[in-house]
Amino acid sequence: MLSIRNLGKSFLCPESREVLHDVSLEVARGEYIAIMGESGIGKSTLLNLIAGLEMPDHGSIRLDGCELVGLDDNRLTRLRRQKMGFVFQAFHLLPYLTVSQNIALPLALNDVSERDASERVSSLLASIGLAGRGGSPVRELSGGEMQRVAIARALAHRPQLILADEPTGNLDPVSASHVQALLRDQVRQGNAAGILVTHSPAAAATTDRIYVLNPEGLFPRDAA
Amino acid sequence: MNRLAIMKAVTGPVGDHPGRIFMSLLGIALGVALGVSIHLVNRAAVGEFSQAVRNVSGQADLTVQGPATGMNEAIYPYLANMPEVALASPVLEVEAKLPGRSETLRLLGVDIFRASRLLPLAIENGDGNPAAASMLDPQAVFLSASAAQWLGVRPGDNLTLQAGLAPVQLRLAGILPQESYRQRLGVMDIGAAQWRFLSLGRISRVDLRLGNGVPVDTFRRKLAASLPPGVEAIKPAAAGERAASLSRAYRVNLNVLAMVALFTGAFLVFTTQAMTVLRRRAQIALLRVLGVTRSTLSWLLLAQGAAIGAVGAALGIVLGYLVAFHGLRHFGADLGGGYFHNVAQATIAAPGSLAVFFALGICAAMLGALAPAIESARTPPAQALKPGDRERALARAGITWPGLALLVLGAALTPLPPVAGLPLFGYLSIALMLLGTVLLMPALAARSFGWLPAFRSVPLQIARAQLHGAPGRAAISMGAIVVSFSLMVAMAIMVGSFRHSVEHWLEEILPADLYLRAAQRVETAFINPETQTLIRQTPGIRQADFLRSSDLLLRPGAAPVTLIARPLMGRTISEILPLTETGAARVSGDPPPAWISEAVADLYGYRTGQRIELPIGGAQVEFTVAGIWRDYARQSGAIAIDRALYIQLTADWRADSAALWLESGISADAVTALLRERIPNGAWLDIAQPGKIRAISLEIFDRSFAVTYILEAVAVLIGLLGVSSSFGSEALARRNEFGMLRHIGMSRRQIGAMFGLEGAMISTLGALVGLLLGWLIALILILVVNRQSFHWSMELYPPWQLLFGLSASLILAASFTAVLAGRHAMSCDPVHAVREDW
Amino acid sequence: MRRALSWLVILAMLWPRTFVQAEIVLPHDAGSHPDLRTEWWYVTGWLHAEDGRNFGFQITFFRSRNEESAENPSRFAPHQIILAHAAISDPSIGRLLGDQRAARAGFGLAEALEGKTDVWIDNWSLRQSGDGYTLSLPARDFRLALDFKPAQTPLLHGPGGLSRKGAGADASSHYYSLPQLAASGTLTHQDNSFSVTGTAWLDHEWSDSYLEQDAVGWDWTGLNLADGGALMLFRIRARNGSVRWAGGTYRKPDGTLTWFKPVDIRFTPLRHWRSPRNGTRYPVAWRINAGTLEFELEPMMDDQENDARATTGTIYWEGAVRAMEAGQEIGRGYLELTGYWRPLQL
Repeated sequence: MLSIRNLGKSFLCPESREVLHDVSLEVARGEYIAIMGESGIGKSTLLNLIAGLEMPDHGSIRLDGCELVGLDDNRLTRLRRQKMGFVFQAFHLLPYLTVSQNIALPLALNDVSERDASERVSSLLASIGLAGRGGSPVRELSGGEMQRVAIARALAHRPQLILADEPTGNLDPVSASHVQALLRDQVRQGNAAGILVTHSPAAAATTDRIYVLNPEGLFPRDAA
Repeated sequence: MNRLAIMKAVTGPVGDHPGRIFMSLLGIALGVALGVSIHLVNRAAVGEFSQAVRNVSGQADLTVQGPATGMNEAIYPYLANMPEVALASPVLEVEAKLPGRSETLRLLGVDIFRASRLLPLAIENGDGNPAAASMLDPQAVFLSASAAQWLGVRPGDNLTLQAGLAPVQLRLAGILPQESYRQRLGVMDIGAAQWRFLSLGRISRVDLRLGNGVPVDTFRRKLAASLPPGVEAIKPAAAGERAASLSRAYRVNLNVLAMVALFTGAFLVFTTQAMTVLRRRAQIALLRVLGVTRSTLSWLLLAQGAAIGAVGAALGIVLGYLVAFHGLRHFGADLGGGYFHNVAQATIAAPGSLAVFFALGICAAMLGALAPAIESARTPPAQALKPGDRERALARAGITWPGLALLVLGAALTPLPPVAGLPLFGYLSIALMLLGTVLLMPALAARSFGWLPAFRSVPLQIARAQLHGAPGRAAISMGAIVVSFSLMVAMAIMVGSFRHSVEHWLEEILPADLYLRAAQRVETAFINPETQTLIRQTPGIRQADFLRSSDLLLRPGAAPVTLIARPLMGRTISEILPLTETGAARVSGDPPPAWISEAVADLYGYRTGQRIELPIGGAQVEFTVAGIWRDYARQSGAIAIDRALYIQLTADWRADSAALWLESGISADAVTALLRERIPNGAWLDIAQPGKIRAISLEIFDRSFAVTYILEAVAVLIGLLGVSSSFGSEALARRNEFGMLRHIGMSRRQIGAMFGLEGAMISTLGALVGLLLGWLIALILILVVNRQSFHWSMELYPPWQLLFGLSASLILAASFTAVLAGRHAMSCDPVHAVREDW
Repeated sequence: MRRALSWLVILAMLWPRTFVQAEIVLPHDAGSHPDLRTEWWYVTGWLHAEDGRNFGFQITFFRSRNEESAENPSRFAPHQIILAHAAISDPSIGRLLGDQRAARAGFGLAEALEGKTDVWIDNWSLRQSGDGYTLSLPARDFRLALDFKPAQTPLLHGPGGLSRKGAGADASSHYYSLPQLAASGTLTHQDNSFSVTGTAWLDHEWSDSYLEQDAVGWDWTGLNLADGGALMLFRIRARNGSVRWAGGTYRKPDGTLTWFKPVDIRFTPLRHWRSPRNGTRYPVAWRINAGTLEFELEPMMDDQENDARATTGTIYWEGAVRAMEAGQEIGRGYLELTGYWRPLQL
């Protein structure tokens, strides 16, 4: 599904520094993995490279057999729109939209018909436990609820790859475990590949496999 | 944490939004500058005028002033013999026509023996000796240095002036002391002036010094009762005030512009502060948590507004000085308005009233800063620290009743009469309507954008949702647009209507084929009866109407009304005068008819059918008001009566202009040439075809409004720049949203389009509201402000093309700036954007 | 100040002479002669208040015909100019209190009537009334209200009242005086009103021509002698300092009349006073010889300089004097010194 080979990335600013060194990773459909590592080690950079928001110095990223490295911004944008879903630490819901509208955003971007979209949104609302609250403004939600909406948005267009960057970092332990479980279940249900970047061992524990990123590369925790 | 540090935390470094602060400064500066320069120019003009009055009236306690055509000289011994009068000095004022020039020279005929006791005239021959002897020389004239320079003459030179259509030779006997006679004028013997300028038996005024202990006001009242009609006793200072009141109405227009600029400035301060407070909401809340009190916070924010105001006002005062200085040098004291005749360049003294303008600038800025200061201090800090709270802050602005109340109040103020001749309630009403509309903007934005249909296109959909869901932000940008655009629209409609009305009026008032006049506003040039016959008998002329203009003083202290005597009996009046109202048919036994201009109707309360008394020929003569006509030429008012009756009353056969109708097939040019040939000194006659007069009049109109247009354009430009800067900070504030949208698959172009669409929707609604409000303000300007200032009505002629052009360019410009702002915001990469929490 | 009419005099000299030799006929000639160029009525004298204080006074009304405006039909045309000077000498003040006025004749506000003496500018007037004269003169710093009663017949200066002013036959004026006038009335100044009596001298002189080209000024005195006699003496000074002309009239108490020739008269300066205001040096004390008469003139006070630049354009000295003979006062009158500040021909 996702195949990363010998990925390397250096930043020139503020000082020349190699962030990723020879990273390789395979994630299969339906597989949910976690990436852990110290702060500043390059976890988010790896995620951005996968999302096509940054370009690697060398190496290759293949999504569903399609090489990402070297594509132009338009192609990458379309790939993100159709095949990827994102969950952020700060939720990043649009405050002036309702819960349903926020969730429907990727569907609208992918030209899904309104009828299909509303069906999909109500099923997602039910699955995240917010059935009937689709018309609420997002600012009336609690933090946990917001992140659940964000997860629903990330899954709405049935992406093949879900990228989550510290999705529970802003949440209390109860909400966090709820969100972690939801994310895992949704990845599995959607038969997608999922990558969770986190510091939290508890969160990582909900995934199928755990990798650790260090200066030498990306290694399974068992191996490290 | 010291105060400075708190300040920094609240407002952020200035570098955060230098453009926006600069715009606010500029708005305030422009408003203050306009106010200051209008004030200074007017001060210079009035000062110059008072100085002139002092020079020619000296230390007189009272001036007995006759109409412009003068009064019988018998009043002079009558006044001189009154026991209360210590000294009476007679003066004959002559606006002498200069042959071959359109300008005139003001000549004062004085009795040197009397005048020199009222004022140290210090006229010297040049050898240090008093010039009394040469003052008596009937050829001698003494000119001020500016007049001599203007005419290019030196002492000993001859000078030719015009009386009737004949030349008058004078000799420049000396120069008046420059320090007290700055304006262009000449002094000569009163006897010689009467004789040579064909004014035997007439004097213009008598300056009086009263005996010791005679109370001036008591005596003035006593005297007023015994003066003949049309003659009044005034204090010399009042003459200067009257001159000021003449230009006051002209200043109204410029003052509106100053108001526009100040309002725009205040609004820019508001947007600056509102955006700052929004962006720094969390920091501010943090400060509150850390223990900064509510009032400290409010004061800090107000102080920042005040600081902007102070810098802007200081800048404005300097700018105003420069504008006034250069304006005076290049345009004269009326900035091209033509009100201060013969006023030379004036030096500007430093007035204490600049402090008022300084304060006004600060107040405007603080007013702008007030709402954000109060709002941000009020917010519970815990709430402000929650994400997504920005919208809550703005949601509060959605209440509608204060805005509606202000609009209603503004409308209710419009029927109120002027205060001291100034349309203060009109101004207040405009200000209230502006404020009311701005307050209504959030609610309006929410509703209007809610009505828009749901769009298929995602950028459009998000843009609509953003505007509908967060109307507070849109309202700030829209407010800036509405404020500057509505005032621009109002001015455009008003000036457009005025110009159209003047154009139409010029057609109505100039029905003849050819016009002829001896000179413009001059008493010394006229067409005598022989010349009138000569003109009538000129081949090719079918009909010649001769006109005589003179001044009538209808109320002491008021500016004189122009009396126009012209053939009216047996004519269709509506073909001669642009009537706006006609009285009932005349009943036999009624006094003779008089047609009054709108200004006379407004100023003196005359109505059609009313019987009025006019002081003509030294007696009160009764007339019936037969109709009211529109007159854009004389804002102090004009009254038209039949010339035959005028001659019967005054035995004044002279005319100063004529309207000529030609035989069909005769060319105006041929008749013009023939007239110049037949009439002695015919070259001195001003002969023009109506088309040329119309063209010249409109050119003068455009010139006097040119300053208005330029200043308006600058004010609007600043308003637009303010809008663009508000889009800019809006885009910056939404950087993380843009970042997220990039993550979930929106392209740069889509986001740019989305933000551009928002700009377009905001500016479209802003322009629509601006048009509507501008229309309302234009109505107030036309029906209240102008009517009360100038006393003339005008038809409403909106310049549609201009308005649509302006709206389209506004929307385009705003959308374009929005796209630019959005693009600028996206230039930082989405990766970092999503990480930014606040 | 009657002869210091600089510009009027200049005007007078620029015009062709139209001098008419005619004898003075009184009372008609007491009035104005508007056809002639210059004319003046001039009253000087000593006044005594009840408290013993002495004052000198001098008032003059001038009339000047202005040919320039002859054709002007305006009622304001300055055909005739009326000027007036007034001054009092009060030794307790030490300088003159003066005032002056000028006006064009007309509108009844300033006139000089024909047929009898009646001349005025606003509320300043000198009028013949009954057998005497009435003066009303509210000036800036003082007010004079005086009646004058003639005690003697008019004194004609020359045959028929024609007074020669130069060697040329046409340099002359019509000139008569009323000496030994009994003056009474009030003088108000410094908030005090004095009832005064005294002896005055009235001159009335009119002419088409007066000064000759090279004359720079003159010295003149008119004295009421204690014995009832009257003496008028003048001399005209030339630019080179020499005496251009001199003349005078002496009437003894018994009526015997003497008209002096130029050679009969000698003015010798005894003492000078310099004006602190403009530095002009005036001979204020004199020895006078006229025929057999010899006496000295002593001023009431030295500073009796009169600044009349505002009306007649000159500064001159005109003051009350005593005539002294061997330390004995023999008469009182006025002395006029002109042309010392600047020559009158400018």
